[in-house]
Amino acid sequence: MNTASDVRISVFGVRHLSPGGARHLLQYLDRVKPTAVLIEGPSDATSLIRDLVQPSTVPPVAVLAFTDEMPVRTALWPFAIYSPELQAMRWSAKNGALCEMIDLPSGAALALQDLRHRSAVERAERRAKEEAERSESPETEGSGQPDLPGGLPSSGAPAALEAEGVEEQEAGAAGRSLYERIAEMADEHDYETYWERHYEHNANPDTYRDSILAFSAEMRALGEDRERSEQPQEHAYNHVREAYMRRQILKAIEAGHDPAKIVVVCGAYHAAALEEPAAGAMSDEELAAMPIRSAKLTLMPYSYYRLSSLSGYGAGNNAPHYYQLMWEAMEAGRPDELPRLYLSTAARNLRAAGTHRSTAEVIEAVRLAEGLASLHGGSAPTLQELRDSAQTLLGRGELSVVAEALARVDIGTQIGSLAEGVSQTPLQDDLNRELKRLKLTKYKTAVAADLSLDLRENRRVSSQEAAFLDLNRSFLFHRLELLEIPFVRSRPAASDRAVWAEDWIIQWTPEAEIRVVESTLLGETIEIACAYRLRERLEACTSISEASKLIEVSVRCGMTAQMEDGRRVLQSLAADSRDVAQIAAAASRLSGIIAYGDVRRADTRPLVPLMEQLFYRGCLYLVDAANCSDEAAYGMVSAISDLNRIAQEHDDAVDVPLWSAELNSLSERDDRNPKLSGFACALLLERGEMDTEQCAAEVSRRLSPGIPSELGAGWFEGLSMRNRYALLSRMSLWQQLNGYIHSLDDEEFKRALVFLRRAFSSFSAHEKTMIAEMLGELWGVNTEQTAEILTGELKEEEDKMLDELNDFDFGDF
Amino acid sequence: MAAAKKQEQEAMRLPAEVLYQQELEALKKEDKGAVPPGWQMSPRAVLTFITGGKAGKLDITPKYIGNKRLVEMAIATLVTDRALMLIGEPGTAKSWLSENLTAAVSGNSGLVVQGTAGTSEEQVRYSWNYAMLLANGPTQEALVRSPIMRAMEGGSVARFEEISRCASEVQDALISILSEKTVSVPELGSETSARKGFSIIATANTRDRGVNEMSAALKRRFNIIVLPAPSDLETELSIVKKRVSEIAASYQLQASPPADEALLKVVTIFRELRSGMTLDRKEKLKSPNGVISTAEAISLLTNSMALAASFGSGDMTDEDLAAGLQGAIVKDDDKDKLVWKEYLDNVMKKRGSEWRGLYQACREMNE
Repeated sequence: MNTASDVRISVFGVRHLSPGGARHLLQYLDRVKPTAVLIEGPSDATSLIRDLVQPSTVPPVAVLAFTDEMPVRTALWPFAIYSPELQAMRWSAKNGALCEMIDLPSGAALALQDLRHRSAVERAERRAKEEAERSESPETEGSGQPDLPGGLPSSGAPAALEAEGVEEQEAGAAGRSLYERIAEMADEHDYETYWERHYEHNANPDTYRDSILAFSAEMRALGEDRERSEQPQEHAYNHVREAYMRRQILKAIEAGHDPAKIVVVCGAYHAAALEEPAAGAMSDEELAAMPIRSAKLTLMPYSYYRLSSLSGYGAGNNAPHYYQLMWEAMEAGRPDELPRLYLSTAARNLRAAGTHRSTAEVIEAVRLAEGLASLHGGSAPTLQELRDSAQTLLGRGELSVVAEALARVDIGTQIGSLAEGVSQTPLQDDLNRELKRLKLTKYKTAVAADLSLDLRENRRVSSQEAAFLDLNRSFLFHRLELLEIPFVRSRPAASDRAVWAEDWIIQWTPEAEIRVVESTLLGETIEIACAYRLRERLEACTSISEASKLIEVSVRCGMTAQMEDGRRVLQSLAADSRDVAQIAAAASRLSGIIAYGDVRRADTRPLVPLMEQLFYRGCLYLVDAANCSDEAAYGMVSAISDLNRIAQEHDDAVDVPLWSAELNSLSERDDRNPKLSGFACALLLERGEMDTEQCAAEVSRRLSPGIPSELGAGWFEGLSMRNRYALLSRMSLWQQLNGYIHSLDDEEFKRALVFLRRAFSSFSAHEKTMIAEMLGELWGVNTEQTAEILTGELKEEEDKMLDELNDFDFGDF
Repeated sequence: MAAAKKQEQEAMRLPAEVLYQQELEALKKEDKGAVPPGWQMSPRAVLTFITGGKAGKLDITPKYIGNKRLVEMAIATLVTDRALMLIGEPGTAKSWLSENLTAAVSGNSGLVVQGTAGTSEEQVRYSWNYAMLLANGPTQEALVRSPIMRAMEGGSVARFEEISRCASEVQDALISILSEKTVSVPELGSETSARKGFSIIATANTRDRGVNEMSAALKRRFNIIVLPAPSDLETELSIVKKRVSEIAASYQLQASPPADEALLKVVTIFRELRSGMTLDRKEKLKSPNGVISTAEAISLLTNSMALAASFGSGDMTDEDLAAGLQGAIVKDDDKDKLVWKEYLDNVMKKRGSEWRGLYQACREMNE
């Protein structure tokens, strides 16, 4: 490598995602005409360049690297149409130059990322521990520093300082203030505006490259020492990367490229470090010592929304669509069109949303933006100035009026696309196959679409496949939901068709793509991945309600084998459970699956014995469980209703006589929660297992004078929860209630009133009128008048009395 | 000259161009930028005048503290000959900014129409000296030009204060003036066209009683800038501090300026009541009905200073502050009184010993 020791190569420092940089880079490449273009990017992604420059690849796209074992680490390199890197690749393809990525291979990058992440966590933990120790014994010293990746010379940072910079974000904090100071010195409001005015708007091809090189070298000199001491990890990582990049550059020189004809395109930060590649290139031994994790690479479509910093991507592009407009204007040779284009697009968006703004206002907005730019001595308005003038003119001073219209121009809704078959993971392939098979390919867009599925067999078509098209779609959607791939969202269907219909919202997002890629780790196809996920969840499952839910999920996903697994898990869990509320919920869910399973063509027969078993257990523990507080009684009411429904719907399968007997016993018992006893009584009435006489006897027993009011009224509350008309048609019942209330003394009446009010609060106005009329008849007064008085508004006095009841002392209950 | 000087000294309040004469002259001398027609200095220098900086060796005090971009937008609007409308809640320095802008741009902030419900169209366009009109018929001498017409003739900036308080038809008189930039006087068969540099700065209240909604046609002729309440505690503190010392100096109040601690307390109370929650965003509060602006805080503190100077030792006590707070916060009805009482007991009482004195004083005052 001695021959190369004094070579200098051309480095073009860029900001990623910068249209100005892309423009100048293209001009520079045209002038230098290099034979090799080396780009900062994972070196194993070189093979993807061919796909990236294909005309059928529509940016924004990203290179995604992911480890193919747990824990998954991912890394992204996004490209927009105006990415200097992408333009350099396109230029090389057109001009026949060699084009290579020269940064650390993705496996090494991910391994180092892993290391940095782990040691950051360790450091945080250790610091917490040290702090705890220090508070106990002040002499305890901090332990040494963490291992640096790749056995690199450690930078010798003192432990005390080191403990300061735990999180990676803090790098930003220190750096930001430096950037802020630069902006301030240039009399700009923020660094973005400074950058745009000084670099994106710089039309002079000669000064651009030099000034950006000088600027970043200075910035680096200012920030490096600080980074070395406060963030040795970051510093070391950059160091490793640069050493590797130098090595790759030297390799290109050895391969016979004239150093003068090599152009390196990299982030401006690294530019100065790469100009003399011979100094400090990575040696073979160092390369061999580098930690590597097994990783895979894929191209994936990306979206402007994800690219914008709004959704968390930090590489500095807050307005991807705006920069695309800028790039297009530059391409067309009319960069001065940009303000007009931007503001008239914003006005058009506003009009489309129903807010009219005239062309005159757009004209004034452009003038204002230009005025603002000239205040700063700029040649063209920056994004901030365009936004400000849009707010003043189009929003009439209010940002909220224009915020959405501006977001559409700034960020845009563009989503990239790749040619069919371009480096996909097996799961992506499988998904695409499924989508094609189920005729869903057209829904793979960024625009949300509604799709209603009818799960029933379509008898008008000939093939089996077509007859159950919607059902198979439903299987796929439920599987995607299980894998947490945000491609589909279910919407509750109207209740009258909930059994056989499903409504879905379908929207393709890059997030979905990422999740698909990540799910590759679970299995090679969607079905295998789902099976894996279900098994995982079943193994972790501890409650019977959760297990029954998983059975439901597996039926919805059309995965019978997993349904059987779920059944086994549920059964073993149920054997130990005595919680009637949970048992009833699980049984009810199973009953639903059994009743409607055939819509999904699932063989649910194996579930029937399990439901029987659950039902049986529910019956046995019912009376026991009914000895509970009023609060728990709410849950019990729905459990009893569930069990009763099962007894009605599956009378051929479950032990109905036992259910009746248990209800009877609950109804008769005086030592259970009175509300539940009343509820059981109501069910018996409804089932026709209690005749009018028995009912009358029970009512008079429960509501006889001397029974404590909370018991009597609580029982009545339970009774009134079901089948109101059966109650309303029984005059004798009201007579008894009337008599009972008469028998209470004042204090007891107040207590009873609380329960009675609650019981009657759920009656409809019509039902209340009926009761009032009945009472009128009982009291022998005009029924209509009674109804009027009883259902009318409360008088102030009465209101006050009721208010006093709110302060009633419930201490004795 | 001496008489004029004395008159100046005795004026309750000096116009901005007199008050900051020295700064304006220094700025003009040091100005290197291009001066738009009709202006007396470059836009850049106007910006420095408003937001502060340096002119040669002289420090320029900031006149508007807060978002600098708003000021830039205001100046850029005037450069493009558009009319400017400053909108905001009471006490957000609309008139203050408009006065200082006109003083810097045209050197005369006196061309003002002060809008009220009784403002008539004549005050916007022109009226007649009726004695002369009757004696000689319509002549140039009998014509009484409105400030706006005079600004058009002189190519300077006119101010229209509280435009939203004027009746709609009076507001509408501006529409044709702004689009055609001429006022015709049919009685004389003449027409006054605006010279370059003419513009109007209007101020309008959005949230107050007795304001009229402005028409879309009128709004369209203005670049509208909404002035916000100060965005953070520090900004508001520095605004209050600066204005209080300025006002105290001009009224020659014989009291020491309020301690930083008192300023902090007042601004904290105001910000919390205005936003309806405590500064740490943990507790929700009720806001009083009245407007609680920065301007109120300033006048409250100067009032308290006056109280202390005239009836006290010259040092502002908690009692002086409490009296001021009571007047500023409890404006019209009993509800405000309850809001204030709630704030005192739920928030201020729990703030610890530094607040104890003020709390006691306020409680007594609010009884």
